[in-house]
Formats: sequence, structure tokens, C-alpha cells
Amino acid sequence: MGTPADRLAELLQFGPRKGRAGGGGGSAYPPGGGGAQLPKLPLGLVGVIVVVVLALWLVFSAYYTVQPEEKAVVKRFGAVIATRDPGLHFKLPFGIDTVEFVATERVLKQEFGFRTAASDSGGERTEYSAEDFPQESLMLSGDLNIIDVEWVVQYRIDDPMKYLYNLRDPTRTLRDISESVMRRVVGNRLGSDVLTTARVEISNLAGEEIQAAMKKYDAGIHIVTVQLQDVIPPKAVQPAFNEVNEARQERERMINEATKRLNQEIPKASGEASRVIAEAEGYASERVNQALGETARFRSILAEYRSAPTVTRTRMYLETINAVLPTIGNVMVVKDGKTAPLPYFDMRRPRTAAAAEAQQ
Amino acid sequence: MNKSILSVVVIAVLSLGALQSAYVVDQAEQAIIVQFGEPIPGIVSQPGLHWKLPFIQDVRRFDKRIIAWDGDVTQIPTLGREFVLVDTTARWRITDPLKFLTSVRDESGARTRLDDLIDSVTRDIISGTNLEEIIRSRDWTVDAAALDEAGVSREDVDLERPKKGRALLEQEMLAAAAKLMPALGIELVDVRLKRINYIDSVGRQVETRMISERQSIAERFRSEGQGKSSEILGEMERELRRIRSEAERKAAEVRGKADGEATKIYGESYGADPEFYAFFSTLESYKAMGENTTLVLDADSEFFRYLDSTRTR
Repeated sequence: MGTPADRLAELLQFGPRKGRAGGGGGSAYPPGGGGAQLPKLPLGLVGVIVVVVLALWLVFSAYYTVQPEEKAVVKRFGAVIATRDPGLHFKLPFGIDTVEFVATERVLKQEFGFRTAASDSGGERTEYSAEDFPQESLMLSGDLNIIDVEWVVQYRIDDPMKYLYNLRDPTRTLRDISESVMRRVVGNRLGSDVLTTARVEISNLAGEEIQAAMKKYDAGIHIVTVQLQDVIPPKAVQPAFNEVNEARQERERMINEATKRLNQEIPKASGEASRVIAEAEGYASERVNQALGETARFRSILAEYRSAPTVTRTRMYLETINAVLPTIGNVMVVKDGKTAPLPYFDMRRPRTAAAAEAQQ
Repeated sequence: MNKSILSVVVIAVLSLGALQSAYVVDQAEQAIIVQFGEPIPGIVSQPGLHWKLPFIQDVRRFDKRIIAWDGDVTQIPTLGREFVLVDTTARWRITDPLKFLTSVRDESGARTRLDDLIDSVTRDIISGTNLEEIIRSRDWTVDAAALDEAGVSREDVDLERPKKGRALLEQEMLAAAAKLMPALGIELVDVRLKRINYIDSVGRQVETRMISERQSIAERFRSEGQGKSSEILGEMERELRRIRSEAERKAAEVRGKADGEATKIYGESYGADPEFYAFFSTLESYKAMGENTTLVLDADSEFFRYLDSTRTR
């Protein structure tokens, strides 16, 4: 596009769909019917053909369709004159008006550290490219460790004018800024936090900062969301990370086991204690009752005894001997004043005490 | 026929002239007019159809938009002597096409100037700064509790808040680089550090360090588990002893009290006639005698008295 002549010629070429920003399918347009090399023909016929070609060109370059998810920016001689909503529209033909389509309603995304290879192969599962992009995803955390962060930035073009005319390559800028911002945010945290608790915070913060940068450039881009995907330590370090997790589990297990034993033993001991106390209480009431019972008996007997002491005493003595003697193993009788062995007799055999008595 | 040829030539010349005198400036562009290679002052910044003198004036177009610049990845030692790979990115815009045209001619010219400039500024800043300063930002805070749980306690990395931090360094880079830009007709919108990574050999060392760090954390977790376990079991032992001894004490108290009460009851009752009690109690104890007992009776005892008396009679 050097000389003005070239420029105008270029403009006059067919191309109503020049540069479809942000992707998007389009309706088919007929190819341009340019200057074909004609064999020698009567002048009249040439005139007719020229008129027909011009007419076709006029017809096909005078309208355009804006798809539902798009907006169209219409330029007349390079200057923007209008933004159009979805539907069928007319414009000046012969490339005087040109249209650029921008998918404003579609949520677009940029992937960092990985690539989606096929988004709908049968529509069931997304396939990811086996290739990694370590130069995109490797970064340093605040404690100067290496960490591998993959993420996605989802965005929408909310102002097609700004999107097209404030930045030359908005997508590239978005990518550059996303990488820069993500590294700043991750670099401001401990690696262990990035791996675990700070994920949501990081994606929110990164989203805000990318949005702020886009606003500063007036890029017409609205950041929908930033999502962290795989956040992992570098491959060589992963086993060590697993070891930490295992050790953590082991710690929990040991604590749990000790707690379990504690929970077993303490209630058992408490039960035991209650039993000991209950036994003591049982003993106590037994002892007191026994005392009460015995003394009650004693009192009754005493009362009787007092009414006839001598008789009762003798009776009690004899009764007792009577009751006791049959059950006694040995009974020895000694005579007072006699020397030891002789004067006693031994009732060796039990239950013959009565007989022995009779013998004597 | 001659007439028609002449008219064709005239039409051709006129239309060529028309094409030569009209030019279009796109929405994204600004233009200046060059006459015999000499730029004419005045910038055409309005997009649309414009006119100029045919043949003798030429149009130079420049992008009006913000343009991305991406630096090469360069290896720079930091103040702490670690070698890092630094990738910078910047955005710039042509603000004065006239100066731009005379000083750098076109975008590729501008690009090489930017390469040199930003590269040297980056080197200056990075090599005069510690890596922590470059990685962290001003609002860096480390929660001591979180740090302890994470097990990060390293001597080689101090966890201080950076004096400047990344954003401020980027601003410094921008300020240093932007100083020379007005002369080129360029405005530097921003300069950012895109990627900072260790060079391979340093990266491997860092990985080794990370591994040993993780292992020591794992070790700590394990011994923590053992410690906690012993603590719990010790506490359990204490509690068990307390429960048991308390129970024993209480039992002894209850028993003692009952014994006391019983003694009191006995004392009160038996005290009414101690002599009879002695007799009564002795008789009671005879009843408790079993088979293996040997009873020694005096022949003069009450039991035999009447036997004697019958014999003598």
C-alpha cells in the first residue's frame, strides 16, 4: 500500500468482509468478477459485459449481514461512520463503505501454559494438546521457588470501536499483560499458598489487574474471568511434595490413634471409678445395716436378760455349747489342777462328741 | 477515430490525476504529506477521504494505535548474582509522525531503537536489584502463622517486604526509557516485565533446594505426629491416674464413714451393758467355730458342772 493509486485500487477490490476481528463464521460472498482478459469481441458486447459486471458488483457490495453475536463497524473512506447491530444492512457499494465485524457477544478465551487442541470432537470431551508451554507457565513465587501455573483468561469485546482502533494487536497485548500480571500476583505470594489456599484470590486479583490494564489502554475488552488451571510444582520436585502430603497424613494418623486410645481408656477408667465408689457405698450401707441389725438384736436380748439374768445366762451358754459342739473338730477337756496330758480326753472323731460325753 | 483515442487518453489522464490527488486515511492511521521527499508540516489525523497535489506529493501513513513491543529474552545477573532470564514487553504509540519519520523512518526503525533502549534499561535495573525485589510487590505480606504451617523457614531467602517491588521497578524502567522517546516522536505507554525465570543450571539448584526443603518439612510433620501422640498418651496416663486415685479416695472415705457410723451404733448399744455384751459376744464367736477348731474346755466349766454334780450325788 504505497502510492495512493495502489491504495484506492485495493479499496476498490471486492472485499466486504475484510478482516473479521475476533473470529466468527460468515456467510459466503461471491467472488469478485474482476477484469478478465477478453478475446476480441464486438465493442457492443464488451459494453454489455462491463455493465453486467458492474451491476453485479453494485448489488453484491451494497449489503451485508451482521450475525447475532456480532456488531459491525462501518467505515466510509476509512473513517468510521457507524456501528451496526445484527441484521441485514445496506452500504455504499464499490468499496466506498467497508465493514468490519466484531464478535461482541461471544466469550473468547486465551490459554496460558496449555492449548485446547479440539474443543468439540464429537462434542463430548475436550482434547488438550499434549505439548506443554513451560515458558508461559513457569514462574517464580515470592519465596523464590519455581511454580508451574496454567490459566485461562476469558474476555469479551465490549466496544468494537475501541477494540479495533485503540490497540493494534489487542490479543497479543492481552496475552502479554496476562502473563505479566499473573507473574506479579504469584510473585507476591508464597509458593505453598499459590498451590493451596490462594488460588481464588489470585485469579480474582489477576482478573482485576488485567482489566485495569485494558482500561488504561482503552482496549474495549471486558475481562469475564481468570481461572487458574493446573498449579503444580516443577516435575522434579513433585515427589517431594507428595512426601510432605504423606507425612502430613501420617501425623494426622498418629494423633488420631492416640486420641482413639484416649477415648477408649478414659471412659473405661471412669466407669471403673464409679464401680469402686459404688462398691464402697454398698459396703457402707451393709456395714451400717449390719450394725443396726446386730445392735437391735442385742437390745432385744438384753431386755429379756435383764428380766431374768441368771437363768438366761445359763440357758444361753448351754444352748451355744449345744449348737457348737457337734460341729467342732476337737474338744479337749482339762481338769483344773491336774497335770497336763492325763486329765483330758480327746474327742478325735468329729460328730461323736455326744458318745464321748456318754463314755465319761 | 482519432478523436475517440484522444478522448480515451484524456479520460485516462484525468482519472489518473484524480486517483493521484485523492487519498484515504484509515480510522487507525494518521498521515503526513511528503513533497519531493520533504515532509510538509501538519498531520492528517482525521480519517476519511483527503486531497493532495497529484504526482508531486506523497502520503506517508503511520499507525495511530498503541503498538505492542516484545523484547528478546535476555540473561541478566541480579544484584545477588543469580542469573535470570528476563523477557520484557512494552507498548508504544507514534505521537509525532513528523519526528518519527525524520528520526527512525518507519516502525522497524523504531523497533530497533526500542530494542536497544529498553534492553539496556532492563539490564540496568535488573542487575542493580535483588531477585526478591523484582519478584515481590510493595504490598507483600507474609502471615507468620501461615508461614509456619507451610514450613518455610529458610535462611537463604529473607522474607522482608521489598523496598521497591515489581510495580515500582517497572515504573522506573518506563521513566528511564521514556526520557528519550519524545525525540523519536514516540510515546512509551508502559514497560512491563513479562517473564522472569532462572537459567537452567540455577533452576536445577533451586529444584534441589525445594526438594530438601520439602523433605525437612515432611520430617517435621512426622516428628510432630510422634510428639503430639506422646503428649496425648501422657495426658491420658495423667487422667487415668487421677480418675483411679480419686475413686479410691472416695471409696475409702465412704467406707471409713460407714465404719465410724457402725462403731458409733455398736458403742451406743453395747455400752448399755458391757458385761453382758462380753458374754453375748463370746457366745456368738463360739458359733462361728468350724470343724478344724480345737475347743479346750475346763472340766470345771459351766458345761460340766452338772455332770459332776450327778456323779457325786
